[in-house]
Amino acid sequence: MMKKNNMRAYLVSAPAMIFIGLIVIFPIIYTFFISFTNMNTYHWFNYDFVGLKNYQNALLVFDSGFLNAILYTVLWTAVNMIMQLIIAFVIASFLNIEGLKLRRLYKTLLMFPWAMPGYISILIWKTGMFNSSFGLLNQWLGTSIRWLSSDLGATICCTVVNLWLALPFMIMIMDGGLKSIDKSLYESATIDGAGCIRKAVSITIPCLKPIIGPAVVITVFTTFKTFDVIYLLTQQVGSQTGARIHTIITYTYENAFITNNYGYSSAISIIIFILLILFYEMTNRRSKLC
Amino acid sequence: MLGKRARNLFKQTSLNIFFIVCCVLALIPILYTLSVSMNAEGSLLSSDFSFLPKHLTLKNYKSVFAEEPVMLWLGNTMLLAVSTVVLSLAVAIPASYVFSRWSFAGRKTVLKLLLLLYSFPSILSMFAVYKLMSALGLLNTHIGLIIIYAGTMSVFAVWNMKGYFDTIPVDIEEAAKIDGATDTQIVFMIVMPLARPSIIVTATMVLNFVWNEYIFSINFLTGSENMTLASGLYGLQATELSGSWPVFAAGSIIVSVPVLIIFFLSQKYMTSGLTSGGVKG
Repeated sequence: MMKKNNMRAYLVSAPAMIFIGLIVIFPIIYTFFISFTNMNTYHWFNYDFVGLKNYQNALLVFDSGFLNAILYTVLWTAVNMIMQLIIAFVIASFLNIEGLKLRRLYKTLLMFPWAMPGYISILIWKTGMFNSSFGLLNQWLGTSIRWLSSDLGATICCTVVNLWLALPFMIMIMDGGLKSIDKSLYESATIDGAGCIRKAVSITIPCLKPIIGPAVVITVFTTFKTFDVIYLLTQQVGSQTGARIHTIITYTYENAFITNNYGYSSAISIIIFILLILFYEMTNRRSKLC
Repeated sequence: MLGKRARNLFKQTSLNIFFIVCCVLALIPILYTLSVSMNAEGSLLSSDFSFLPKHLTLKNYKSVFAEEPVMLWLGNTMLLAVSTVVLSLAVAIPASYVFSRWSFAGRKTVLKLLLLLYSFPSILSMFAVYKLMSALGLLNTHIGLIIIYAGTMSVFAVWNMKGYFDTIPVDIEEAAKIDGATDTQIVFMIVMPLARPSIIVTATMVLNFVWNEYIFSINFLTGSENMTLASGLYGLQATELSGSWPVFAAGSIIVSVPVLIIFFLSQKYMTSGLTSGGVKG
């Protein structure tokens, strides 16, 4: 009973649209405007238009750091997604093996990292696990290694923490997907003499794909947007650890709120937005989210 | 036959060991924090450190409450969280219902735009929001933050609940219509109760978002009397050189417990309330 009534529909959805327009859309347009100016702390009101200079600085100046940040973000997303999908698939499959009596208990316990407030978990990891003097890792090893001080070390630590944070959601999605697969498929496969791996490749993965598709696409976006893990672990104001790793979002934040280069950071924001639109069009054409 | 039983036993044992290891890995940072927060000895740095404290104390919890205005922060957070949930659901429920049920010019475009906006990280336009709030005179006010949070979360709320409304069969509504129910009656008496899982999950996600949000609140609010739990705790954390890790650990536990309770209470709705919308918070 799809009704056709434009006026009423607009009226009923207007409050939400006005809110979103003011808080989400207007700032994006305003960011677009700022990206053509030299606005910074000294030019808070009396800024000048500088044309495309900010965009040039971001894209054409090779050591601006932005291109590195893009590369890092792409690698970060790829590595994290691959590891997440594989580990979650293994754990969810094991959870669904028949005869596992404590399944519910394990599932509840495994959800804890997701239930904890994200920033608290990250700060706990930073101090409790990685701290050089009283972190658990160093306590157990009897060392005082500064895990977060090198780029590679910090990347590994950030990946571990990100996996710890993100796996429960993925396991839950995969577990739900696995439950919805018709059991008779496996029975007939067993009769035909198919082994475990053969069943996984020919039945489980193809059946799982459409069910978990949207959740995976969304997780790709979330991973691409990673800010908390990297910012809180390595570059909080006053307690930078020395590692110089940046995703595009931490890079933008640093330019906006630490070095106060508003024009430049706005230009980067717009470039990222355009990248997101392209990315979104690509995934949307494939997976038909809408 | 014996061989098969032995193999089965072996399989179950190794499976259980695997899951015990997984659970330990998942819980270790949390358990360690709990242990540190209740450890009576200042043995964090000593070599005879043990994971399970020999003597328990609530000293660190007391000092969180004594030294920091935690109750004030809690009040601020509750105010922000409840206002944001009420406001964002009040605007998003009607909108998501309309987007799910009615057809009108521009519907598809707006839905696509909303999904795109959802993928846009709000940190990227944070400076523009800052200037907007400063122009409206809402910097360093709770109203300002409530508006920002509600606006940001409305995008998620509309999409998530619209997805769930789509899965509710329209037949029930048509039957009610034939019986003479008005649109308002249909929404409040039929659709809302049916959509309860989705509404609960959406509210939980919004609540969680506000409870955990620190980056806007540390940049937009100044002064200890305005702080939220998240920004307060952020200021409490221990660095390599300063601060007290046991006190911070106690604070972390205090702030996490309510979230954990809400999460596990709403968990039975989680799968259906989230996956059908295809959007995660």
